[in-house]
Amino acid sequence: MARDGNTAQREPADEGALTRQPESRPDGDGAVPAAPAPERDDSMSYTYTTDLGAIRAVVQRCAIEAGLTEARAIDLVLAVSEVAANTVKHAKSPGRLTIWYDTREIVCQIHDEGVITDPLAGRRQPSLDALGGHGLWIVNQVCDQVELQSDETGTTIRLHMNRPAATPGHDPVA
Amino acid sequence: MWYNKGVDLLTVSVTARESAGEPYTLVEITGEADVTNTDELRRLLDEEVSQQPRTLIIDLSGLRFMDSSALHALLRVNRSLDRQGGVLALVSPQAAVAKILRLTTADRLIPVFGSVAEAAAG
Repeated sequence: MARDGNTAQREPADEGALTRQPESRPDGDGAVPAAPAPERDDSMSYTYTTDLGAIRAVVQRCAIEAGLTEARAIDLVLAVSEVAANTVKHAKSPGRLTIWYDTREIVCQIHDEGVITDPLAGRRQPSLDALGGHGLWIVNQVCDQVELQSDETGTTIRLHMNRPAATPGHDPVA
Repeated sequence: MWYNKGVDLLTVSVTARESAGEPYTLVEITGEADVTNTDELRRLLDEEVSQQPRTLIIDLSGLRFMDSSALHALLRVNRSLDRQGGVLALVSPQAAVAKILRLTTADRLIPVFGSVAEAAAG
C-alpha cells in the first residue's frame, strides 16, 4: 500500500456547498451527488489495488483515533471495505482512499475510475437469494451519511460517521 | 482428513468428525475473507458440499472479517446443502462477522451456535 502522506495543497473545503444526503430516505429517491473532493491538509490518502486488508487496518486505526466506539469502527471498516471491493471487482485502475475528521465526524472518501450507472445503487435491500448486490446496501445501513457521485470519469463515494459528542473540558482532536 | 489452504489472508482447514456416532464436516475459516479471496473460498467450500455431508459446520471464531462476497459464498453453501438434504451451521462469529450476518439477516437463515459441540448436537 502506498501511503502518499499529507496532501500538499489545501483548497477551501467548501462543505457548505455539498448537498448532504439525509440519514434515511424512505422514498429512496437516490443518492445525492458528492461535490468534488476537498483536498485537506489534515487528510491522509492511500492508494490500493487488491490490498483490502491493509485498507481495513488503516480505517480501523483512524476510527479508533477519532473516538468511534468499537462497534461503530467495525461499521466503518465494513463500509469502506465494501466500497473498495467494488474497485477490485469493477474498476480497471487502483482506488484512492482519503480519510479526515473534524470535531463532528470522520469521513472516508473512496475514489476510483469505475462507473456506477444505477442512481439507486445500494438504496434497496437485496434478497438473500440474490447472492449479490449487498455491498452498497450495507454501506448505506451502517454509515450516518453516504454521498455518491459517478460519471464517465469515475466514482467518488464519501462515507460519514458522526464522532461521539465531545465531553465538556475535553478539547477534541480537530 | 484435513488440509490447510492459505488463500492470501485466509486459511481454511477441514476435518471429518463425529458426534454421538453422527459424522459431520468441520470447516475452520481463519483470517479475513473478502472479494480478493472469495473465489478460492467458494471453490474449497464447493468441494466439501460435493461430498454431500449431512452436517457441515463452519467455525468462524478465527475469522476477523467477512465482506458481502464471502457472505454470498456461505449463502450459496447453505442453499446447496439445503437442496441435497444437508444442514449448514455457523459457530462463534467475531463482532465484525456477526454484524454482517445480523445486518443482512443471514443469521436467521443459517443457524449460529456458540460452540462446535453445540452445533454438532444440533
